Amino acid sequence: MTTQETTIKDQIRQFVNDELAAAKGVTVTSDDESLIDNGVVDSLGIFRLVTFLEENFGVKVGDEEISAENLQSVNVIEQLVLSKAKKK
Amino acid sequence: MAYILQQLLSKSAARFPEKTAVWARGRSLSYRELDERSNQLAQLLVESGVRKGDRVGLFFPKCVESLISIFAVLKAGGVYVPLDPQAPVDRVGYIISNCGIRVLITQEEKRRALDAATRESLDRCVVVGEAKESTTRESSNGSGVVPWSALAQFPASRGPAVSVIETDLAYILYTSGSTGRPKGVMLTHQNALTFVEWCAEKFHVTSEDRLSNHAPLHFDLSVFDVYNAMEAGATVYLVTEEIALFPTTLQKFIETHQITVWYSVPSALVLLLLHADLKAERLPHLRTILFAGEVFPMKYLKQLSELLPAVELDNLYGPTETNVCTYYRVDRERLAGMDKLPIGIACENTEVFAVNDQDQIVTKPGESGELYVRGPAVTYGYWGDEEKTKKMVVANRFQKNFEEKMYRTGDLVTLAEDGNYYFVGRRDSMIKSRGYRIELGEIESALLSHPGVREAAAIAVPDEVVGNRIKAFVAAHERESLLAAELQHHCGTRIPKYMIPEFIEFRESLPKTSTGKVDRVGLARESQPVTV
Repeated sequence: MTTQETTIKDQIRQFVNDELAAAKGVTVTSDDESLIDNGVVDSLGIFRLVTFLEENFGVKVGDEEISAENLQSVNVIEQLVLSKAKKK
Repeated sequence: MAYILQQLLSKSAARFPEKTAVWARGRSLSYRELDERSNQLAQLLVESGVRKGDRVGLFFPKCVESLISIFAVLKAGGVYVPLDPQAPVDRVGYIISNCGIRVLITQEEKRRALDAATRESLDRCVVVGEAKESTTRESSNGSGVVPWSALAQFPASRGPAVSVIETDLAYILYTSGSTGRPKGVMLTHQNALTFVEWCAEKFHVTSEDRLSNHAPLHFDLSVFDVYNAMEAGATVYLVTEEIALFPTTLQKFIETHQITVWYSVPSALVLLLLHADLKAERLPHLRTILFAGEVFPMKYLKQLSELLPAVELDNLYGPTETNVCTYYRVDRERLAGMDKLPIGIACENTEVFAVNDQDQIVTKPGESGELYVRGPAVTYGYWGDEEKTKKMVVANRFQKNFEEKMYRTGDLVTLAEDGNYYFVGRRDSMIKSRGYRIELGEIESALLSHPGVREAAAIAVPDEVVGNRIKAFVAAHERESLLAAELQHHCGTRIPKYMIPEFIEFRESLPKTSTGKVDRVGLARESQPVTV
């Protein structure tokens, strides 16, 4: 379980940094850092992130769940994925 | 009739003292509280050395203190300069030095992020939020950092005695500049009030209305939200990033606060259409949607119109230099058959006309030309940039009886049979993305400032949702050593995030036109719309 959690978080962190943060000229250094306050995600980035989660982890994220509470940091996103994976 | 902006607040505070003036992040202020807090802060600003005409920067994320600060600066006779809280430190530092800001209203975290030279150039920082021990200690050392709690020592019942007239500056809005640095558009009380009074009448804003404020405060769409709410004694609800980015959350915000008048860029509405559950029965209070800043894709406008059949839809058009100069009220009977939305006709108390290549005013339907604007809404020009001002704010050569200025928008328009103008394109390389004005030249300048870049060209890739996305072509001195991410990071230190190229393609060299300039048009033709 530990290795799997690490893997998920690593993948999320890598996607956030390579695909979202890089194009905004920033690097996310902490898994607790707010991706909203530091401008890493914009309105299109949010949906790219959701598509990535759905395609990579086989989870379904409903429009209702696309919110700051579920997606504001790498740690929070990992929790969302894990909670969904458990329900499957 | 109010002739300076702060009178809008004082009049409503007298009529509706206990009514909510502003709500943000779960906190609200009544008209009385907003009037009193801004009186106190205005006195603190005067005590800090602010005199009539002095520029005061506002550098913190939107909150109820944003409105206190705006009105405090105006009451002190100053000129407020809203700074993008997410902009790179380098750009904020440039603006602070460009318009000579000596007093800054900010957050401790934001203040610390400024570079040392900028911090030292400031006489005083008023820090919004709970005072931290360090702030209190520094202020007692006399270093110029004052906690928000210092407001309490000033009487709340009146502001400073400063005489301001309508032709004095009220605020400066910085917008992208083609030569690599942003330029400050100077707006007077009269400029703003011309627009506010027109809106008050056109959209019948009353004290019962609840307005949203979606646009950032450094973006001129916010002028309607803030001042028309104050003018009418209505309530303005500030939309912060953690709401704006999430369509479902944003829709709930509109529902919960029973927003009656919404104003935003079209892309915000398109995201609601695509990812939220827009339905008339869920939004029974919404009566008017205003949009501006970019072209609304017809496909989505038609959907919006069908989903919300009772809501009035208005397209407002105008560069920051004129705020809004034309409008078009969507005619639902015509909408189905339309393939392009007009920018409409001139707002009352503003005149617009198109000037063709023969330097004649366009009078015949079907003819095109550059749109010019005259009237009390037009800016004096750009702060500290006489050259740019002379180019854009020009003498009205079409009438000889008195001296008068007019603004050339750089927008090419066509006059239609029904008297409406249609936007056709730009004379220069300014583009819009999410309603933001972006000079491609400013992006190229940022790229070229990287030592590894030999040539750079930025182009706009059309996008259905956000209008345009940005792609850059770069020829490097040594290709192997340069990475796209490194260049994007470099751009991030100079230009706002919405201007950083999302895609960077490396070339050995860039194609040139016959005059030797980089062929942006050719590069744009090669680049099909990007799908992600």
